[in-house]
Amino acid sequence: MTLAEMPFILPDLRPASAELFVLAMACLILFVDLFVKDTRRTAVFALTQLTLVGAAVVTWAGTSGEVVYTFSNMYVHDFLADMLKQLLYLTDIIVLFYARAYVVDRPLLGRGEFYTLTLFATLGMMVMISANHFITIFLGVELLSLSLYAMVALNRDSATAAEAAMKYLVLGALASGLMLYGMSMIYGAVGSLEIGEVAERLQAGVANHSILVLGLVFLVAGLAFKLGVVPFHMWIPDVYHGAPTAVGLFIGTAPKLAAFAIVLRILANGLLTLSYDWQMMLLIMAVLSIVLGNVAAIAQHNFKRMLAYSAIAHMGFMLLGLAVGVVGGDARFTLNAYSSALFYVVIYVLSSAGAFGMILLMARAGFEAEDLDDYKGLNRRNPWFAAMLMMLMLSMAGIPFFVGFFAKFAVLQAVVASGQIWLAVVAVIFSLIGAFYYLRVVKLMYFDAPADPTPIQAPLEVKALISANGLAVALLGLFPDTLMWFCLLAIRLSLSVFA
Amino acid sequence: MDFKSVVFYLFSAVLVFASLRVITARNPVRAVLYLVLAFVSGGGIWMLLEAEFLAITLVLVYVGAVMVLFLFVVMLLDINLDRLREGFWSYLPLGATVGALMALEMGVVIGGSYFDLFENRVPALVTDSNVKEIGRLIYTDYVYPFEVASVILLVGIVAAIALTGRQRRQTKAMDPAQQVLVKASDRVRLVSMPSEKLEDSVPQAGE
Amino acid sequence: MLTLSHYLILAAILFAIGVVGIFLNRKNLIVLLMSIELMLLAVNTNFIAFSRFMNDVDGQVFVFFILVVAAAEAAIGLAVLVVLFRNLKTIHVDDLDRLNG
Repeated sequence: MTLAEMPFILPDLRPASAELFVLAMACLILFVDLFVKDTRRTAVFALTQLTLVGAAVVTWAGTSGEVVYTFSNMYVHDFLADMLKQLLYLTDIIVLFYARAYVVDRPLLGRGEFYTLTLFATLGMMVMISANHFITIFLGVELLSLSLYAMVALNRDSATAAEAAMKYLVLGALASGLMLYGMSMIYGAVGSLEIGEVAERLQAGVANHSILVLGLVFLVAGLAFKLGVVPFHMWIPDVYHGAPTAVGLFIGTAPKLAAFAIVLRILANGLLTLSYDWQMMLLIMAVLSIVLGNVAAIAQHNFKRMLAYSAIAHMGFMLLGLAVGVVGGDARFTLNAYSSALFYVVIYVLSSAGAFGMILLMARAGFEAEDLDDYKGLNRRNPWFAAMLMMLMLSMAGIPFFVGFFAKFAVLQAVVASGQIWLAVVAVIFSLIGAFYYLRVVKLMYFDAPADPTPIQAPLEVKALISANGLAVALLGLFPDTLMWFCLLAIRLSLSVFA
Repeated sequence: MDFKSVVFYLFSAVLVFASLRVITARNPVRAVLYLVLAFVSGGGIWMLLEAEFLAITLVLVYVGAVMVLFLFVVMLLDINLDRLREGFWSYLPLGATVGALMALEMGVVIGGSYFDLFENRVPALVTDSNVKEIGRLIYTDYVYPFEVASVILLVGIVAAIALTGRQRRQTKAMDPAQQVLVKASDRVRLVSMPSEKLEDSVPQAGE
Repeated sequence: MLTLSHYLILAAILFAIGVVGIFLNRKNLIVLLMSIELMLLAVNTNFIAFSRFMNDVDGQVFVFFILVVAAAEAAIGLAVLVVLFRNLKTIHVDDLDRLNG
């Protein structure tokens, strides 16, 4: 066969136009950055934000609700992907606005690489969200992770940041190794790497069950590492604490959306036949995360570490929704369970962005507002910000009529529908315990005297955004139906079970 | 035992020995060299599996480039060798047990009759060249992952330069905009405090 | 005669050595990075063996991508190591104790 005989049909590029756009812009920004003299990198910042807005427009234009495969079935374009990508762009835009003042104050962090690596990480998450093949999942995860490792260490003069980056890298690479070993076993048992084909061959029942379970154990362990749930959570507190706050904000928000997408695609689309086995694993990890996350968060004095343990607990709660989708081979509750998990992760990302945003808002050049004591008397320093942070905390605690309550309620409903009442009871008890440390922040802000009574100033756009973020949590709590409807739609239109 | 089996066992023995030495060697430079040995034997095993292209890539790219990078870093950093291995032996029994158990458990599952495929029953993977077959796939079916992989390498370049590239010398040039923007309140903060009696704050001469 | 199991067990042993290397090694970050390389070598051997015995080239293509990613990961890992060394003057695992709480 000569080159001329090589059969090659140009794949349909339209479904992936958003990825192509982001890639092209990232390369352009990399180039523009060379010629920017401005140390504040305003042009680079503006271009990055424009890229994200542009990507949102491109994705919007391509949204149809149909499931389209391209690149030899390696890429899938469906409503779930569109919705998650829009949320991803939105999160990125918020993150960059919050981080702006922080990185400008820290010259090593505020280089052009901060923005380009953010875009490359975003591209990695887009690849993950649209992946339909083990290779694309792996490459997306790695593109995201490698960018994040570098971003954590970007502030080269900080020993804690370098230490956090090293821990993140070693444990992240270990997780990738576990995930790959799992993938290789599933490949060996099934004979395919494409998720749809894996599902078909599993349905046909040709594969050896014990080999599959061995692969599944490794695969789920790798995914659990990336999600940060117990017992694979040890990197989360260290990375949240050690990373520069602006990077911590990014790590704590957007990647959760992408990790949710790959978990859903691998487990629910590819390995649904094995649901009995993986639901068991997810259930154990979910319960352990809820227990450990909520209890350990109480002992923290550092706000970032507290948020890290709260992240572990929240991811555990989200896993509960994924772990009760199929009851005794019956897929009646699948739609509700998975969409509640999707709703939960979206709400978590929203509240987490706001909470980290407040840390960034309080920080100044050479000063980090990391300790819980820094929030004492915030009400006297700036009542409006205190009210916003209070709403975010109450929502994360799951106090009724904030949106976090509805997120927890939806997941618990799915758990109860699956007949595992004890599970719901455990989750409720530990959420109540968890409410304590959120309420402690509220108490510090309203009832303690400030150590430093200077009023807090912030740029107008950050003020507006943080207000919008706080108010969104309250308003979505009053009207959760629209978002819930979108979540239901995304799951129903996109998962192969409902096709 | 046929010739192929002899080669397999030979390479496997070297591979396992070398990788054990990687994690136990006292000196990191030796560890890197043992890793090179492990990769070369691994390449031999891949050759037995008729993956010529990957075997050659492993030796050329991995041993030739990545391992040399490791060696450079090991030699450039001034590492305190005496401290590196202290306390190693106290962890060894636990580690060895866990490792052996893990390998055994995996072996029980893998070694089952399901995988008793004999090589001679499977037709040769490709009659044509292995490089050609992989190349054809990479540039057709796998063109999307191929592009993503190129982006990953780009991120590798950007990250490595951003993290270790020499900083440009700090210029002493002033930024007039910053100077004009300075407000008195940024520099001096007036704090109202109750006045204190002088006697309390002045130490007595005798002390 | 060699069977698929031979190769898989070899890979399992290698993988276990890599994992043990990560947990056993309390001292040296470079050996930690090398243990990760061993794990990936094991995974790659797995994929190639399956690919050979199932007569399916896809496994080999996956190995190609794993090699690419591992190279990039090694580059970034060593860059972070250099940053860490410049700050702490050590690559001792036990010296990484700033983040505990």
